[in-house]
Amino acid sequence: MQDMTQMSTTKQFFFYMQENGLYVFNQFFDHFLISIYGVLLAALVGIPLGILISKYGKLSSVVITLANIIQTIPALALMAILMLALGLGKTTVIVTVFFYSLLPIIKNTYVGITTINKSVTDAGRGMGMTKMQVLYMVELPLSLSVIITGIRIALVVAIGITAIGAFIGAGGLGDIIIRGTNATDGTAIILAGALPTALMAILSDIILGIIERRLDPVKRQQKKTIAAV
Amino acid sequence: MITFFTENSSDILLKTWEHFYISMIALALGVIIAVPIGILLSKSKYLSKIVLSITSVLQTVPSLALLAIMIPLFGVGKIPAVVALCIYSLLPILNNTFIGMRSVNGNTKGAGIAMGMTTMQSILLVELPLAIPVIMSGIRLSAVYVISWATLASYVGAGGLGDFIFNGLNLYQAELIIGGAIIVTLLALLADFLLSKLEKLVTPKGLRIEGGRAS
Amino acid sequence: MKKRLLLTSLLVLSLVISGCSLSGNKESDKIKIASVVTTEGQILAYMMKYMIEHYTEEEAEIINNLGSSTVVHQAMVNGDANMSAVRYTGTDLTGALQAEPIKDADEALAYVQKEFKDRFNQTFFDSYGFENTYAFMVTKETAEKYNLKTVGDLAAVAGELEAGVDTSWMNREGDGYKAFVETYGFDFSRTFPMQIGLVYDAVDTGELDVVLGYTTDGRIASYDLVVLEDNLNFFPPYDASPFADNELLEEKPEVKEAVERLVGEISTKTMQELNFKADNNLIEPAIVAEDFLKEHKYFSGGDE
Repeated sequence: MQDMTQMSTTKQFFFYMQENGLYVFNQFFDHFLISIYGVLLAALVGIPLGILISKYGKLSSVVITLANIIQTIPALALMAILMLALGLGKTTVIVTVFFYSLLPIIKNTYVGITTINKSVTDAGRGMGMTKMQVLYMVELPLSLSVIITGIRIALVVAIGITAIGAFIGAGGLGDIIIRGTNATDGTAIILAGALPTALMAILSDIILGIIERRLDPVKRQQKKTIAAV
Repeated sequence: MITFFTENSSDILLKTWEHFYISMIALALGVIIAVPIGILLSKSKYLSKIVLSITSVLQTVPSLALLAIMIPLFGVGKIPAVVALCIYSLLPILNNTFIGMRSVNGNTKGAGIAMGMTTMQSILLVELPLAIPVIMSGIRLSAVYVISWATLASYVGAGGLGDFIFNGLNLYQAELIIGGAIIVTLLALLADFLLSKLEKLVTPKGLRIEGGRAS
Repeated sequence: MKKRLLLTSLLVLSLVISGCSLSGNKESDKIKIASVVTTEGQILAYMMKYMIEHYTEEEAEIINNLGSSTVVHQAMVNGDANMSAVRYTGTDLTGALQAEPIKDADEALAYVQKEFKDRFNQTFFDSYGFENTYAFMVTKETAEKYNLKTVGDLAAVAGELEAGVDTSWMNREGDGYKAFVETYGFDFSRTFPMQIGLVYDAVDTGELDVVLGYTTDGRIASYDLVVLEDNLNFFPPYDASPFADNELLEEKPEVKEAVERLVGEISTKTMQELNFKADNNLIEPAIVAEDFLKEHKYFSGGDE
C-alpha cells in the first residue's frame, strides 16, 4: 500500500472519499435526519405557539424573551446539561435542536401574522369567515414565507448543533471531524467531515431560500402585476 | 456543587478571562474589518451583493466545521479559534453597517454636501454617527454569538470555559459540566444585557423610538 | 390560491412523513454499543455492530466518541448503552471496579468477570485475543545494537538512552514512572513527557532511543518497532474483551452468539494492522471493520 503520508492533502482527501464514500454518505444522511427531526418538532410546537401569542399580545413578550434566553445559552453547554438528564445519543441532540429552533420559528410566525395588513383580515371577517377560517385561509398563507424563513434559520443552526452532537455519541458528520482532529495528520479527514457539513448547511439555506421567495405573496403579486401589464 | 466553585475558583477566573479575551479579540478584529467594508459597500450596490452573499455563506458554515478547518491552517491554540470566531462576527456587523449607512436620510446627506463636506467628511461627521445605533445592534448580536461559540474554542486548545464542559464530558463529572455551563451562560447573558444598555446610550436622542432601541 | 394550498399541504405532508420515518428508528430496546474515541475502540464497535447485524435480525447503533472508559461505564450503568465495544481488564479493575491492580492476566480476567456479573449484571466476555497496554519499544536497529529483548535488558545501557513517554504516565500511581524506576531499578539518561501520539515518530526518526507506547498502535507494525517484553510484569494486564449487559444477552441470545464468534480472533498483531489501516491509510474504522469481517467470512467457519 502506498505511503499515505507522502500524498498531498488533496490527494489524501480524494482517496479518503473514494474508500469511505458510503460511510460518509451514511453519516451525512443520519446528520440531516437528526437536524430536520428537531426542527420539525420545533415547528409543530412553535408555529401554534407563535399563532397563539400573535392573538394574545400579553403573552408575546414573555414567550419571546424566554426563547431569546434559551438562544443565548451556548449550544455545547445546553447539550451537555441535557445529556446529564436525558443520556447520550441521538435523542438528546434532537431535543437540543428542538430548543434552539424554537425562537426563530415562534418569532417568525408571530411577526408573519402580526404584520399582515389589518384590512386584509378585516375583509375576511367582513365576508363572514370565522376566526379559524381567517387563520387558515388568510393569515397562514400570507405569512407562510416568513415562517419558512424561520424554519430555514432553524435548520441551519440545527445542522451546526448536530455537528457538536458527535461529542455525546450521536454520530453524524461530527464523527468524521473528531477523527480528523485526533489523527496525527488528519487534515484530509477534517475536510472530509467539515466540507459536507458546510455544504449541507449552505444547500439547506439556498433551497429553503428559494421556496421562501416563491411563497412570498408580495413578490408574487408584483410578478403578477408586471406580467399582466 | 458549591464545592466546584470554591475548589476551582482560580481555574474559573482564568478560564473566564481566557474566554472573554478570545471573544473580545475576535470581536474587535471583526469590527475593524467589517465596519470599513460595510461603509464601502454602502456606496456600491453591485459589490454589496457579492460581499454580503459571501459573508452570509460563511455564516452558514457550522462552527465545529469552521473551527476544525482552521487547525491545518493555523495549528492549535488561541489563534485558530480567534480567526474562526472573527469570521463569524463579520456578517451581523457588516450587514448592519451596510444597512445603517444606507438608511441615512438622503436629505441629511445632501445638507452636508451642500455645506461643502467631502465624501470622507460626510461619512465621518454625518452618516456614521447616524448609523451607529444600527451598527451597535449588529455588534451586540455578534458579541453574544461569539461568546456563545467560544465555548467550542476549547476543542482546538484555546482554553476558555468550554474546558470545563469538555473535561466534564470526558470524565463524566456532572459538576464540571453544570459549573461550566452556568458560568458561560451567565457571561453570554451579561454581555447581551450590557451591550443593550450601550446600544441605548449611543442612540442619539432624536432617533430613539418610544424609549426603546432604534432597531 | 389553489397553488398555494397545494404547496402548503405538500410541505406539511413531507414534514409528517420524514417525522414518521425517523420515529421508526427510535425503538427503546435497540442495541446500543458504546465506544471510546480511540480508533481501536471504533473498529471493534463496528465489528460488533456488523456481526450482530449479520447474524441476527437486530440493528445496532453506536454511541461513539465517548471521552474515556469512565464515560463508557457510566453509559452502561445509565442504560444509554447496553454493549461496550471493548473493555480492558486493567482499566476496569482500577476504574469501574475501584479495586487494586492484579498482575496475573488470568486472575484479572476472572476477577472482572465475576465482579461485573455480581455488581452490575454485566458480562465481561473472554478476550478478543489481544491486550493494549503500555510497553517500551525501540527500533529494530537499536534492539540489535544492544541486544534488547526485554525491559530488563535495558538496565545495562539505560544511562546512555533518552526516553519519551506519555505525559500522563509520568504522574500515574502504581504503574507510572516512579514505580517503574523502583521496580526495575534503573533510569534513563533523560525522560521526556510528550503527547502519546508523537512517541512513535520520535523513536522511528531516532530523536529518542526508547519510548513508551501502546502495544496495539499501528505504527509499531509500520515502523517495524521492537516491543520489549515486560519481564518483571510491571505493567498490569490490559486484555481487551467485548462487553454487554446481561439483560440484553438474556433477551437476545443470538446477540451473545454473534459476539462470541469474535472472542480469540484478534491477535495483537492483527489489531496493530487494523489500527494502522485506519490511522495511517485514511480508511474509516467502519470500513476497516467491514473489510476484516468479510475477509474472515464473519467467522462463520466451524465452531471452535
